[in-house]
Formats: sequence, structure tokens, C-alpha cells
Amino acid sequence: MTLPAVLIDGAGVVASGSLLDAVLAAGIDLPHLCKDDNLPPIGACRTCLVEADGRIVASCSVPAASVKEVNTSSERAIRLRGAVLALTAAMIAPGPGGGGPLGGTARATIEAHPVAGAVFARSTGESVDTTNPFFSFHEEECILCARCVTACQALQHISAIGMSGRARETRVTPGAGATFRDSICTSCGSCVAACPTTALRPKMELSP
Amino acid sequence: MLHAERERSGWLSRDAIVAIAADCRIPIAEAWEAATSYPDFPLSPPLPETRVCTGLSCVLNGAQPGPGEVGTSCQFRCADAPSPGEDAAFPELHIRRSGPLLAPDPVDWAGLEHARSLAGAEALRVVADSGLRGRGGAYFPVARKWEGALAQERPVALIVNGEEGEPGVFKDRAILCRRPKRFLEGLAIAMHVLAPAVTVVFLNGEAAAARASLEACLAGNEGMLPYPPLVMSGGGGYVLGEETTLINAIEGRKPVPRLRPPYPVESGLFGIPTVVNNVETVTNLSLVFRGGPELFRETGTADAPGTKLVSLSGRIRHPGLYELPMGTPVGAVFAAAGGALEGEIVAALVGGPSGGFLPPSEFHRPLLPGPMHPTGAVAGSGGIVVLDSTSDIRAAALAMAAFNADESCGKCTPCREGSPRVHESLAARDVASLDELLEVVGVASLCGLGQMAPGPVRSALHFWPELFA
Repeated sequence: MTLPAVLIDGAGVVASGSLLDAVLAAGIDLPHLCKDDNLPPIGACRTCLVEADGRIVASCSVPAASVKEVNTSSERAIRLRGAVLALTAAMIAPGPGGGGPLGGTARATIEAHPVAGAVFARSTGESVDTTNPFFSFHEEECILCARCVTACQALQHISAIGMSGRARETRVTPGAGATFRDSICTSCGSCVAACPTTALRPKMELSP
Repeated sequence: MLHAERERSGWLSRDAIVAIAADCRIPIAEAWEAATSYPDFPLSPPLPETRVCTGLSCVLNGAQPGPGEVGTSCQFRCADAPSPGEDAAFPELHIRRSGPLLAPDPVDWAGLEHARSLAGAEALRVVADSGLRGRGGAYFPVARKWEGALAQERPVALIVNGEEGEPGVFKDRAILCRRPKRFLEGLAIAMHVLAPAVTVVFLNGEAAAARASLEACLAGNEGMLPYPPLVMSGGGGYVLGEETTLINAIEGRKPVPRLRPPYPVESGLFGIPTVVNNVETVTNLSLVFRGGPELFRETGTADAPGTKLVSLSGRIRHPGLYELPMGTPVGAVFAAAGGALEGEIVAALVGGPSGGFLPPSEFHRPLLPGPMHPTGAVAGSGGIVVLDSTSDIRAAALAMAAFNADESCGKCTPCREGSPRVHESLAARDVASLDELLEVVGVASLCGLGQMAPGPVRSALHFWPELFA
């Protein structure tokens, strides 16, 4: 059996999984803030844009086998990725490092890619929830990528947190607008492990 | 259940949502994320107030909330603008021009009998031969959608989308209020061909009169359908016009779009292959099977047969519903409607918040599938709002930018973050930053709402740059 191939930046690559999987497997760096290998594709951050058969698509939600030819570094793809990252960058308040194991991902991605235009300050919210004994949640660092919520709902099947509200009122929210302590959170840590910013921060340094 | 609670107490308290979650045996956070995502579900007790519709057609006709009054989003009585902010049955008077679809309701069931005399595959062939395309706005061939679902060789679900959340569009309400039997015949035909395991008719939560009319017609014609459909009312939200969002809403989930693939015809409602058709599309099936596909094709164009219901409102002498052959030029609609209310028609918003503005020099463009003008105008679901010499084009463009920002479901970054910024830049006359913003919202957004959102702003900037500098 011959596996289908997709031409990525001129090189043939086995077309399995999503287009983003194929691009990353080819060793090409592409921003991806809401992709999580443990989770189904979310498709919310829209940073993994590429030009596929002449159309700009979010590569995480396109099967590689459905595409013939991909250009990851066309002028348009680079410019639009930069524009989405600029909108994302505006949501992250400058602050301390830390966070979970992936906590530096978003900031590193933004620094590594040209972010066009002025960066406006716009934070999701200002609340800080320190009620969980093991981690705290800092809304002003949240980019609403939904990885924490998807980990809680689709990986752990707990659903202690959800995405409440809509438009600019969208928030990551435990229970019915409760705190983590008053929700059904089991402190499993999956949300902290999935967070690409410092919105979800472990409280203790892990000792060996 | 959220809708029932809103009907009972007027609003959704936290305790009520927690109780509903317990009743449904779903986690509180999931009930909360769904309940907080609908514009029509208040989360605090409503004050006694007079509601004033602030949809575009009403604003153009002078609606403005006064002291003690509260502005609401579009109440879909655009032909009555400025309208009182509550629902009423669509008046027969406002059916201004009828063709085959809006002809008085049939007395017999000839279309259904013809469909039932055919096996499923033969009836499907009739739909294919008719060339009927979806009337929700995307104009996808109906037979191809049905074939896609039936090809899965699993039980299918049929969803009729009557959410109709677009300001300036009232055709589905009109059909359900005034021609419910023709709709019912179309539905019976669709159920005969698809033999769906589940059938849902989803209506706008504010369309109480349309729901009552449909339910009366269902009750009076028991036995014409294999089983009664589940009639559901939503909590509002323009994004429910997007079919995967509608599917999430029916499942009780947060109304946000799903990624495609899988397409709904492969995996839709609870994973079942699902056909989503608009109320107007389903009603057209009655015509296809009454007169046959050849007669159906005699109206409209070869590629887009049949008629289109145009919801016309704004600053026009005779607002209301016009049934016109597909391919009719936009300008012909205005001529039929008696022209501007005052002075001249200076512009028209064609396709609503997902469409674009056109100046009179572009009114020769026909109502057909696909882009009507590269800057945004589309036939879409047939909503046209007219602006005359008294109207403020800039204010109308700002209103559409605000609407699209408010109606973003919040899931993806370009639409949630970008569309409010489009409105801000437009309001601040910062035109230089708009090109890139409009491009990123239009190209990078997850679903059609975001992808189409730039149209009104882009078209207004293109035709009237001097108003925005």
C-alpha cells in the first residue's frame, strides 16, 4: 500500500493525520497554540495558517490527505499568521514567568514570529483565583485557546470548567461562575499541564 | 429546558441553571457555558421596561430608545419599522409579491402523494433534477447534501433551520405564519425521502407566533408525517445560522461552530449523518413535487432554478416580502417596492451583516448564488435593507460592524478579537489599520460568521471612502 503524499514547501511528505502534523513532522516550525497532542483538534487560536492549494487554512483542522500542495512561508501566510499572533499578543499582559510545563509557549511563539502592527492591551479579565491548593488562575494571561477546558471536558471527563459567555465576554469559568474550590475540580492538573500561557500556575515548585 | 425556564420566570438564575444541570445529569460547567452563550437568555431579572427594536431597519426609520425604554437587538419585524419590540404574527398584507411558493396554501396533498408514489431513490432523482439549492444563504445543491448523508448507510437526522437570526430577514416567520401547510408538505416529502431517525424543527426563540402557527398546523394534520418532529426554540444568536453551531445548540452544548471535517452529513447531531435545511428550502420541495422538476426549472436560471424570498425593509415605500425569480436584479426589487421613502435610494445593504452595501450604480447585479460583488454583497438569505437620502451610510456600516463583533461566539481569536477592533478603528476613522484587520478576520476565522463579517465595512469603505476618512 502506498501512503498518500502531500508536497510541503516543495518536499514530499507522508500525508497522515492533520496538515499541521505533516508540517511539523517535516521539521518545519509553525505556530500552534491550541493544538495539544492529547486532545482532539480545537481550532480556536488560528495561528497555524498555511497556504494549501492556494487557500489560507488553519492546518490543524485540515486532513493532510485532502491537500496536494502546501506553502508554509508564502508572503500572505506569514503576514496573516503575524496578524493573528498580534491579536493574541495583545491578550497577554507583561508579567512574571512561571506557569505550567508549557507556560512559556505562547510568549516564545510570539517572540519568534514577526508580529505586525501595534499591540493593543486587551485582557480577558482581571480576576485571580487562588482557591485551589495546587494552582492559581490568572485571567489576564488567558488567550482563550480552550486547551484547559478541552482537557477537563474531553480528556478527564470532569467538566469542572467551561467557556462561559460569548464575544469579548468569553471566559474560562469553573462551575456556574464559581471558584475552583467551589467547583467539582479534582485538582488533577490537566488544565495546568495544557496551558500555553502563565494563566494557570502551579503553586509549588515540584521537588524531585 | 433553558428556554422553558426563561418562559416560566423570565430569566435564568444561577440556581435554576444548576438545577437544570442536575436534572439533565450534565456537569454544571457545561450547563453554564451553554446558558451564558445566548443573547436572549437574561442572567438577571429583567426590569419592567418598554423595549425598542434597534435593528438597522428600525434605526433607519427613526427608532431610538427614549427615557425609560430599553433598546433590544433586531426583533425581526423589519417590515413594520420602527417596530414595537415584541413578536406578532406576520401580516398577510406584508406579502407584497407572491409567486408559486407564497401562493395561498394548497388544499390537498398532491405533492406529498406524488413523492410517496416514488421509491426513495426515484424521489431523490426528482430533487436532483429540479436543481433546488439551499435557501439559507449558501445555495448548496439539496440533492447533493441528501446524497452525502444517505451514502453513509446509517440512520440520518433531519434538522430544519428556522433560527433566522439575521436582522432584516423575516421570510421563515412569514412562511410558518402564513403558509404552514406548504411547509408541512415539504417537510413530509423530506421525511419520506430521507426516512430520518430524528427530525428537529429549530425556531428562533422570539418567533412565538411562527411556532404557534406551525404547532396548530401540525396538530390539525396529524398523520401526514410519519411522526411529529421535535419543535425547539432557541435563545437567539446569529451564529446559529451556521449548521454545526445549530447542531451543538440542539445537543444542549455551547453554541459554537465545530471543525470540518467531519461534515454534518458524515457526523452531525449526536454523531448521526445529518441534513440541515432551511425552512424556505423545505417549503420549495412542495413545489418540486407538485409541478415536477421541469415546471420548477421554468422559473429562475439554469444554475439556480426557482424563486427567492426577499425580505425588504429600511427606507422603502412598501417594505415586506417579495417572491422573485432567482436571477432578478436587485434594482428590480426596489422598483416593485415603490422606491425610496424620501428622496432617492442612496445605498442598499444586500445580504445583511454577512453581505455588503451597494450604491445605485451596482443595482443591476442579479440575486444569484455566490458573491454578488467582490467587496461583500451576496444574495444570502435574501435580506435587503434600503437607505435613502435621509440615511447615514457611515452609521449603518458602524451598526453592522458592532453587530458582527457582538454576535461572535467567542471561540476563535480572529473573530472574537479582530471584529471588535474593526468597529473601533472604523469609529475612530483609523482607516489605515482596517485593510489588514478585515483580511485577517475574513480569512483566518473559523466559521462563516467571521469569514463574512468584513463585507459591510469593506464595501462601505470601497464605495464611500470619503465618509470614513
